[in-house]
Amino acid sequence: MRRSSLLLLLAAFVAITATPFTARAQIKMQIIGPGSHLSPIAVSALKNLGGDDRHGVSSEFDSILSHDLELSGYFRLISPKAFIEDAQTSGYDLGQFNFADWRSINADFLVKGAVKIDGNQVQLTALLFDVAQQRRMMGKSFTGQLSEVPRMARRFADALLKATTGIEGPFDSRLAFVSTRGGRFKEIYLQSIDGHGLFRLTDNPTINLFPAFDRRHEVLYLSYKTMMPALYLANPATRREVRIVSTRGKMVGGAISPDGHLIAAAIEHAGATNLFLLDRGGQELRRLTDTNGINVSPAFSSDGRMLAFTSDRSGTPQIYVMSVAGGGARRVTYKGNYNTTPAFSPDGKFIAYESRDGGHFDVWIVGVDGSDPINLTHGVGSSQYPAWSPDGRYIAFSSTRNGNSHIYLLQVATQTVISALTEGNGNDSCPAWSWWLGD
Amino acid sequence: MIPVPRGRGGWEIRTNGVLRFAALILVCAAFAASGCSSSVKKTPGLGAGAGAGAGMGESNLGNKGSLAQFKKGELGAGEGGPLSDIHFAFNQYTIEPQDDSVLKANAQWLEAHPNTNVQVEGHCDERGSEEYNIALGAKRAQSAKDYLVTLGIAPSRISTISYGKELPLCTEHTEECWARNRRDHFVVSQ
Repeated sequence: MRRSSLLLLLAAFVAITATPFTARAQIKMQIIGPGSHLSPIAVSALKNLGGDDRHGVSSEFDSILSHDLELSGYFRLISPKAFIEDAQTSGYDLGQFNFADWRSINADFLVKGAVKIDGNQVQLTALLFDVAQQRRMMGKSFTGQLSEVPRMARRFADALLKATTGIEGPFDSRLAFVSTRGGRFKEIYLQSIDGHGLFRLTDNPTINLFPAFDRRHEVLYLSYKTMMPALYLANPATRREVRIVSTRGKMVGGAISPDGHLIAAAIEHAGATNLFLLDRGGQELRRLTDTNGINVSPAFSSDGRMLAFTSDRSGTPQIYVMSVAGGGARRVTYKGNYNTTPAFSPDGKFIAYESRDGGHFDVWIVGVDGSDPINLTHGVGSSQYPAWSPDGRYIAFSSTRNGNSHIYLLQVATQTVISALTEGNGNDSCPAWSWWLGD
Repeated sequence: MIPVPRGRGGWEIRTNGVLRFAALILVCAAFAASGCSSSVKKTPGLGAGAGAGAGMGESNLGNKGSLAQFKKGELGAGEGGPLSDIHFAFNQYTIEPQDDSVLKANAQWLEAHPNTNVQVEGHCDERGSEEYNIALGAKRAQSAKDYLVTLGIAPSRISTISYGKELPLCTEHTEECWARNRRDHFVVSQ
């Protein structure tokens, strides 16, 4: 009797997790592998303290929090169908509910909370419990507008990761990418990491490429919107932007420093593409490279002091690093004969890049001193254009593993591709991952 | 290795990269009397106003750039213009021997039409990073410009632009398609 009810429970669990949302099914299938351990976590509904009678805010908060926890690669969400307790009749803080109800469904962790809504104003409290220890680990209270509930969920997910892993989660941030979803033209879009709040930054029927964030959450990108390539520094909040061109030649690409003060621009003249340091208005400060070949894909380190870039000075495209202050460039990659698109890890210790192997590309990381290159994507489709999360545990990259190119999330430590971050028609490429949005 | 008609009177050898040069030699041999270049490319001056020095005919001499064509959904539809494309090996920007005659014919046409300017567009195949390919396309465009200048065309008449891998003529993931996309395209204006 006991065994059969457990089986029924398992069957219900499998049916629920596999059917409603394919991205979640993917997470389940791909995360579980050798060496990975997923902690079972229960995210209980928020107790309605007034104004959330249809539990709309509770559902939105729980859904985004659950999705972010799955994307983190650390947790397995226990289906709410398995929950014994009724969140609306029991309490939400220590001493107001029974841990046995959660231990019996094998939850390691439990999220409970409450919400009160007055007009457009939301007061929301969420708490994290260690079920085995019967202990409160962390709590957050939020006040804000109804439209800010998704960010409350992401900030709680980030704090939950800090409480359980020691490092703040990366979800209160933004993803920028290039997409042809609107037709045949490449336009730049922004969205949350968990796929909400799609925002179209560019709307010109030409070519828009290489979005890059500074920590003010401005976006630098390259566009052919005037039929000639130029860089643009856009503020998504105001939709204002500055056009950046150079009398030296044509813009090929660029990066903006974390503080937003400097731009490293790849500028082509007479066939040679070199890097130049500009101020944010486009005034040239210094030449950074001087070869007759190709120097592209500049990327600032997190402290703004170093630049990684791609150069063909050795005869093949390889990754180099140099000091923004000047001085020589040092070659980082020696394995492979086509290595491009570098990105510094936030701690400055690693560089992620794409490397060609025959007809396809993989995302690799290498020590900034050139040590221990590691293939993270193992030849499934073509994987390109790595972008680190602000906490340094994840890389967003573009991949053709399921046909069209989409943006995927990779957990670096386990070399596990967790989930697609974009979907739908069109091809998505050139991801950029912003710093935390902050207060 | 079948020569297939492309555009207005244009011919292109469709085969894989290895056989391409051999095929070209065969075609050259077959058409030795009339010259190799005319058999593998469009006849210079096709279209209105061929040979006319000035006047109404010349208003039709130009052709639209690839980005303008792309905006209208016409890219790859066969509107090639009076000058012929040249092609490159993967990740290379040196002029291939078989394109020597194409560039000479292009230079002759430009000499015969001194009131025109040309923009050389560099293009790449889909492989590799977007940014590296824009720089590579710029190298390809510059290679053709430099060659045209050595053939006597004034540098002031020649501009360059790179579209990297952004404006392909075809989108199949095959060597044939990649070879077709690795090109310099020549856009004539007055």
